[in-house]
Amino acid sequence: MGLLTILKKMKQKEKEVRLLMLGLDNAGKTTILKKFNGEDINTISPTLGFNIKTLEHRGFKLNIWDVGGQKSLRSYWRNYFESTDGLIWVVDSADRRRLSDCKEELHQLLVEERLAGATLLVFANKQDLPGALPAEEIKEALELDLIKTHHWLIQGCSAVTGENLLQGMDWIIQDISSRIFTMD
Amino acid sequence: MSAKSANSGKKKGGGFLARQVKAKKDALTEEELLKKKDITADDVLRLTKGTDNYLCPPEANVFNIDFTRFKLRDMDTSTVLFEVAKPPPSETDEEHDIDTDEVDPNAGRFVRYQFTPNFLKLRTVGATVEFTVGDKPVSKFRMIERHYFRERLLKSFDFEFGFCIPNSKNTVEHIYEFPQLTPDEMKEMIDNPYETRSDSYYFVDDKLIMHNKADYAYNGGT
Repeated sequence: MGLLTILKKMKQKEKEVRLLMLGLDNAGKTTILKKFNGEDINTISPTLGFNIKTLEHRGFKLNIWDVGGQKSLRSYWRNYFESTDGLIWVVDSADRRRLSDCKEELHQLLVEERLAGATLLVFANKQDLPGALPAEEIKEALELDLIKTHHWLIQGCSAVTGENLLQGMDWIIQDISSRIFTMD
Repeated sequence: MSAKSANSGKKKGGGFLARQVKAKKDALTEEELLKKKDITADDVLRLTKGTDNYLCPPEANVFNIDFTRFKLRDMDTSTVLFEVAKPPPSETDEEHDIDTDEVDPNAGRFVRYQFTPNFLKLRTVGATVEFTVGDKPVSKFRMIERHYFRERLLKSFDFEFGFCIPNSKNTVEHIYEFPQLTPDEMKEMIDNPYETRSDSYYFVDDKLIMHNKADYAYNGGT
């Protein structure tokens, strides 16, 4: 029930917040989404489309979109950029071989005009695996320090144990809330 | 579908008058909609109750959108209350195919649910649907779903999925607070099975392509 807790903190001004979760295939996007919402994570298969969670609480709405990360699906990602308040980029921290792919895909997204105003949360997932690089090293591999156009945070986490998922989501919602509040 | 509740509720003086005034301005009736060639989301939002008929034929679904799973869970206890999945086409044997001529053409778009009275006491639920899309891309996919007990609107969803990838399998879970009911309302709903109904309308590019119906009873034993 993590999301409901967060939703309660949303202010009157943001009636609807939209989060887009992307990353390479097998990064753990769907597992994060399900774990966070208290669903069984034992039977997850590759996403061949999208998974959406919508949460409604006292008139507030939080929509999270998890779109499949396979190479053949990535050209469709742009169809989901519109109205995105927050981008969650999920990384398999144990997949060292594809970190440069991962960096390139992320930096391509950050130049997209329709994502210009979005807050960026990077989940360095799979910290429970022995071969996982710590968040600090993922930050360097993805060259996050070069990002000047977006508010961003990297958070080490484990979708399997649930560790740090709430912290990350809490941060992105807070950041979006304060930004929307200032703009008004 | 039964039409017996269509005229109920008209005796509430003020409510009825108020409804009449509003009706002149922006309400649409099912009869008016059935005369239209294409039905838009705005049209459906102007309906003030569930419909007796389907507002489009099954053939309107030219995008081959197919609902393959439905799941309902209680968020407060993390319990799956109900789950039903459509078997993949490969599991359908040939004998079954031969009979399709005689099958009610609306069979695939009407579902009847039987729940126990405890169901009405749920606080937060998550409703998941899974659907597949044919080989054409779908744009501006939108769902409007309305639940009524007789003519009282219990819950309304309006959600735009937007774009759907060709040949994709997608899921959406709506997590929401169950409408709060008084003990009297609960009793009425339990005592009047199948008078709680829902209409699910699906649009592509603001044109109605699917209309599904369900009805509900809450008098089941455990």
